[in-house]
Amino acid sequence: MITLPKLEDLSDPTFNAFEMERMSTGRCPDPYPRIHELMQQGSVVEGVYRNQFTDVPDVQHGGLPQMMVLGYDAVLHVLTHPEIFTNREAFLPSLGVSFGESVSVMDAPDHTRYRRIFQKAFLPQVVSKWGETVVDPVVHRLMDAFIGTGKADLIEQFTHHYPFQVIYAQLELEPEQGPIFHKLAIAQLLSSIGAPQGREASIKLGNFFAELLAQRRARPGTDLVSHLATVESDGERLPDIVLISFLRQLMNAGGDTTFRGTSALLTGLLTKTDQLKAVQEDRTLIAQAIDEALRWEGPVTSTLRYASQDTEIDGVTIPKGTFINLVLASANRDPRKFENPDKFDIFRDRKHRSLAFASGPHLCIGQHLARVEMTRAMNALLDNLPNLRLDPDMPPPQMIGHILRSPEHMHVRFDG
Amino acid sequence: MKQWMCMNCGWVYDQAVGDPIGDIPPGTSWDDVPDDWKCPDCGALKAEFEMEEI
Repeated sequence: MITLPKLEDLSDPTFNAFEMERMSTGRCPDPYPRIHELMQQGSVVEGVYRNQFTDVPDVQHGGLPQMMVLGYDAVLHVLTHPEIFTNREAFLPSLGVSFGESVSVMDAPDHTRYRRIFQKAFLPQVVSKWGETVVDPVVHRLMDAFIGTGKADLIEQFTHHYPFQVIYAQLELEPEQGPIFHKLAIAQLLSSIGAPQGREASIKLGNFFAELLAQRRARPGTDLVSHLATVESDGERLPDIVLISFLRQLMNAGGDTTFRGTSALLTGLLTKTDQLKAVQEDRTLIAQAIDEALRWEGPVTSTLRYASQDTEIDGVTIPKGTFINLVLASANRDPRKFENPDKFDIFRDRKHRSLAFASGPHLCIGQHLARVEMTRAMNALLDNLPNLRLDPDMPPPQMIGHILRSPEHMHVRFDG
Repeated sequence: MKQWMCMNCGWVYDQAVGDPIGDIPPGTSWDDVPDDWKCPDCGALKAEFEMEEI
């Protein structure tokens, strides 16, 4: 019998890593009025996106030249011109310090080479198999805790857990290791501000993943780590340093975004009961409901790029060395592309794709898995919670955050 | 069913739909898609596509 590697907790197990997460998320209830104002100023606006909503200093990029790029066409232009707007310089001080040599911190040709290998493990036909074997058991185990009670907080009891537990299941973590894993995943973000707990968390996660990879290579299964440990493209495998960095990033890139995306989907449908009813009756609408939720309230409102040469957008000069605050949320609420952009409407014209998963070579590698997870979760909730509705005696869900957004609570009732 | 899939992102070319935003009208066979056409999701070239079982 194989003994699975054990995760080691921080040397100070009482250290509260989650406080950092709350600080980075912010308390802004609605950044969109300000985003619309900025968009009206033009495609390129001097300044820093986060400073529009918070006084918390940016220790990674504070003091460096920054500009915001806004609106669908301008954001798409930046995303699809990686030879000008690069990732490496943009993310080296943040993701590079926290996770290491992840694909998010690479540009071509390294990115092109490794991305193609990673993507093989995340192609639709691969991740669809995990829906039944991995996602469904997690979803049903969580729902079993409240299914007979007639009411629940779907954030506290469901969405805030299931994507992370899907990752635990993929890693075959023992249940008591889950909270330690989650804490280390959050704590490693502190590396970028020089906190010793950040470095400690990165090392401990790295040791754990190195051991796990060796085990899965020796006896591969059908799980994600086995796929990544053995996947090849043109005879080349992923180096351990790149793989371990990717796995370090998994909780943040794959868990947190899916939690927030599912929460946005439920918020949209539960507050628009006619659309919830339509989805209940025709489950093929779930796919477009997911697209609309991610357009309306994309989990990540802004990302970064670096101008590697002097360039311009819509006549505005962007000097080499500028950090670009790429406001994805402005693209997804651009009235030139989406009629009544602030409205959640699963039946809207879908002529323009949302940029919630970004675009270009760094398009979200896990988008197909996220869709599988959200589809399975939505079907399970609709199948097992009849007459699902907001609890009239409790406050409605309120999206919060200026960079990462989701509600903190979602009180619902359903028939027993 | 086998279809052409982008190996950089998993986007699938559906002949019935084409890629109207990329000026590929519905009904265009894969062979008639120009070599300089790019994946609408990630920008990979046509050469990055492979026939995959969906």
